[in-house]
Amino acid sequence: MERRSFLKMTGASAAAVVISPSLITQRLYAEDGLSLYESYEKVHLKDADGNPLKASTLQPEVNYVFNFPHIATPCILVDLGRPANTNVKLKADDGTEYLFKGGVGKNGSIVAYSAICPHQLTHPTPDDSFFQYLERKGKTLALPNANEAGVFVCSSHLSAFDPVNGGKAIAGPATEGLTQIVLEIDENDELWAVGALGANRFHDYMDAFKPEFKKYYENKRKAKRLVKDEAKVVALKHFTKEIIQY
Amino acid sequence: MSMERRDLFKLAGVAAAAAVLPSVAVTTAGAAEIANKASGKTVLVVGGGFGGLTIAKELKKKDKTIDVTVIEKKDIFMACPFSNTYLGGLEGVSLETLTHDFYAPATKHGYNFVQAEVTAIDRKAKTVTTTNGNFTYDILVLSPGIAYDYKGQFPEWSEEKIAHVAHACPAALMPGSEHLALKRQLVDMDDGDVVIVPPAQGKYRCPPAPYERTSMVANYLKEEGIKGKVIVLDTRGGKFSKGAAFQESWKDLYDGIIDYKGFTKVIDVDPAKNEITYLEFTDAASLLEGDPEEAKKHTIKYQVCNLIPNNICSPVIKMAGLETNPAGYALMDGYTLRSKTDKDVYVIGDAVSHGIPPSGHTAIWTAKRAAGQIQAQLAGKSFDPKAGLPVPVGNVCYSMVSGNPEEAIMVTHEFVAHENGMLVGNGNVPKPKDGNGKFRSKGTGKATREWFAGVKRELFM
Ligand SMILES: Cc1cc2nc3c(=O)[nH]c(=O)nc-3n(C[C@H](O)[C@H](O)[C@H](O)COP(=O)(O)OP(=O)(O)OC[C@H]3O[C@@H](n4cnc5c(N)ncnc54)[C@H](O)[C@@H]3O)c2cc1C
Ligand code: FES
Repeated sequence: MERRSFLKMTGASAAAVVISPSLITQRLYAEDGLSLYESYEKVHLKDADGNPLKASTLQPEVNYVFNFPHIATPCILVDLGRPANTNVKLKADDGTEYLFKGGVGKNGSIVAYSAICPHQLTHPTPDDSFFQYLERKGKTLALPNANEAGVFVCSSHLSAFDPVNGGKAIAGPATEGLTQIVLEIDENDELWAVGALGANRFHDYMDAFKPEFKKYYENKRKAKRLVKDEAKVVALKHFTKEIIQY
Repeated sequence: MSMERRDLFKLAGVAAAAAVLPSVAVTTAGAAEIANKASGKTVLVVGGGFGGLTIAKELKKKDKTIDVTVIEKKDIFMACPFSNTYLGGLEGVSLETLTHDFYAPATKHGYNFVQAEVTAIDRKAKTVTTTNGNFTYDILVLSPGIAYDYKGQFPEWSEEKIAHVAHACPAALMPGSEHLALKRQLVDMDDGDVVIVPPAQGKYRCPPAPYERTSMVANYLKEEGIKGKVIVLDTRGGKFSKGAAFQESWKDLYDGIIDYKGFTKVIDVDPAKNEITYLEFTDAASLLEGDPEEAKKHTIKYQVCNLIPNNICSPVIKMAGLETNPAGYALMDGYTLRSKTDKDVYVIGDAVSHGIPPSGHTAIWTAKRAAGQIQAQLAGKSFDPKAGLPVPVGNVCYSMVSGNPEEAIMVTHEFVAHENGMLVGNGNVPKPKDGNGKFRSKGTGKATREWFAGVKRELFM
């Protein structure tokens, strides 16, 4: 409910101000009935030195982590090295349908997803990561019969998700797909995170990991706050001490 | 990852529990009184373990208008999975790690929780009698787990003897006092041996559990500097779940600590003298023949004895008058999770007769699948019992083999619709990428903790 009225509001302001690209994004989703789309104040993605991250500098099939929309909710950004599909129809567990519009960048190959596994909330932490994108030539126990990977794998209970098709759950116990983080790219090749598409477990996540928040972000209140203005993007291998993938 | 962070989410549950009472008015009045109403969508779940709690939540998630009540005889949830690490004394693993209140998920998802023991089931009248009132149902779900078969395995033992051995040498395959007793005995033990007796035959809960326990107890002896061995009196000659992987780890880590005997038959336990008597055969064939003349008889002393008897299905299945196999597991309606006998009775978790491994992971899988089938049935729709099959990884199970550093081994099972008419699991024991050619690795050790933390989130969030 909350979400819908919020979106109505943004719809209204979109009519007034037409220049901002993120408002265009919102309208794009509005036309689709805004199903399961939540918009946030847009956040500029920055590199380790604090400079705007250029889309063309992303290495293909490498995991990059940034936190969005909350200070403690990790996301993974990947240039898939091949275009994501466009206008993929997806369904949340409660039956709500929503539409994945595709990736950004020259080839539409850049996507971002919330890195909180929709199954049971496993996610990358500074100590270790069981959840990440696995390059196409990688092997995973989650898809024992597949010729190639190119999927997100959660090695906690071996679920796999297809990033080319909106993060759809394709193997393992997860039934719901990943939450897409909707990106925009501006004329300077710089990336912005503007919203989240699909069902999300941010709320459950906040409930489940209070001690973790204390360890990494001082406390829960701080962890819950929305990211403002900019988010630092780091390669997963620098974000976490250990990457675990089966 | 530290255990701490997972542990604490439980506290939220405790707080919620204080504020909430079960919403079903339970009475101890006469048999005719029924505590709930059949709404056409009333689902009664017997057993609040892995299967039961999952299906209750899942049904409510699918359709809020389904009226769901869980009946569970225990007052506190305790997990069997991960409990071996508690026995093994791994860092940060406490009773808190393994336990939870039942109220938090019931409140969150809107199902009723009733603490009571089911004592009778009348399928004709569609009623269930409990120690805390009578209940009616449109659909009955049974997830009651297992029972021990001391009688079948030791026919010459009296009731008193069985009770005595069960307390003195706790099996700890059903969570509760048995685990606490075993832990207490390990904590209190002097130098000397721990004897572990895996179930001698038949299907039993969590096939790797006795061997994970062997590893964890060996870890404990080693870390505590206790002079003694873990003696395993087995019947499987090394051919058990993840057998090669366990034995590789035992050789590397616990040489001289684990003494595995593969062809034994336990014949007596004397808890007063801390003695166990067994026959030792030379190979599988002579064990099968069981001729005592062919075997050597040994009587050994123990400090701690974990005697795990053969398993049978929980008597709740027979109570419902369902057709079963000889060990009491419910016969199923083809590939469904419905009983063969009654289309309004579903059976999930360890109690099914499908050929899938009796694990918590599988119990959750069956619960979710059954929830879909029940939803369809309540809506008067048909469903495809083979939908989604084969499932490449229906079960994944980690076993911790070392505590310092923490390392584990793993197995996955593909679930298929077998031509024998049942669901069947095919196992695969992989060598993890980070294991340097070994079956065990530190990454899988972390995965074991992560698996358990995730499963707790599944049941309680
Ligand atoms: C040491 C050990 C380690 C294990 N490790 C793993 C592991 O790593 N991974 C894994 O996936 N699985 C593991 N398991 C297996 C897992 O615990 C079981 O497979 C799982 O609990 C089965 O779920 P269930 O719902 O069938 O039964 P349970 O979880 O046992 O639930 C049955 C419930 O029914 C209740 N009940 C029974 N009779 C009545 C009655 N008459 N009235 C009311 N309530 C009743 C019981 O009190 C119980 O709470 C392990 C088990 C053990 C013992
Ligand atoms: S938490 Fe990711 S597969 Fe279970």
